[in-house]
Amino acid sequence: MKISPKLKQELRSFLTERIRKDQNRVTVFSADDFDADEKRDLVKKFSNLNWNEANYQVDKTVIAGVIIKVGSKTIDLSLMGSLSKLSNTLYEID
Amino acid sequence: MENLGIDGKLLLAQVINFVLFFILVKQFIVKPFTIFLNQERKNEEDKNKILEKLKRSEEAGMEAERKMKEKMKKEFDVLFVQAKKEAHDMRDELIKQAESDASEIKDKNKKLLEEEKNLLYREVKDKIIKTSLMIVESALKESLDEVSRKKVTGTIIKNYKGQVQIN
Repeated sequence: MKISPKLKQELRSFLTERIRKDQNRVTVFSADDFDADEKRDLVKKFSNLNWNEANYQVDKTVIAGVIIKVGSKTIDLSLMGSLSKLSNTLYEID
Repeated sequence: MENLGIDGKLLLAQVINFVLFFILVKQFIVKPFTIFLNQERKNEEDKNKILEKLKRSEEAGMEAERKMKEKMKKEFDVLFVQAKKEAHDMRDELIKQAESDASEIKDKNKKLLEEEKNLLYREVKDKIIKTSLMIVESALKESLDEVSRKKVTGTIIKNYKGQVQIN
């Protein structure tokens, strides 16, 4: 089956745009819901991120703090993350 | 002669008779008997010769046997010494091989023991770390209420110094 070049180009543009959007989409995981002030502080702290389509999710395993995912990148500022880092450090010690 | 009471004819006859008797005895009795005696003597001499020969042969055989025994003894002594030396060498070789094997087994076991020790150490360490983290996690979850969690979250965000690079 032959696909027309125009359709192919449109499909490529659509997917590229979607990937770009996904890459910049911010997802925040926290132990509790954020109120407006907290969200504002977060936006202010990470002002270079695109917060327009930010997604806030509650995850009790975080304990406290936040995990921010931007595309494929993750900023782990949670107590669980700190404990995990501590665990890795302990494993590295002989 | 007749006056003397000797009868000449009778004397002659007796002489002839004696001569005939002598000839006959000599011819038919003495001669075979002599031949028989000579034969017997000859047989005796042959017998003695054979016995002498047998004796010499026996002596030669005994001498040969003695020499052979001596030769065998010498060969046996040589072989015995050689066998003893070979056995000694073999024993040394076996001891050396056994020592080598023992050393190898010892090293292997030592290595195995060391690996098991390390494995046990890692397992214990893993359990201690996991248990400790579980305790800390559990304690944090139980001790932090919503207000405390929000406070901690705010402090973490406030103290974060890093920058996120977005392409």
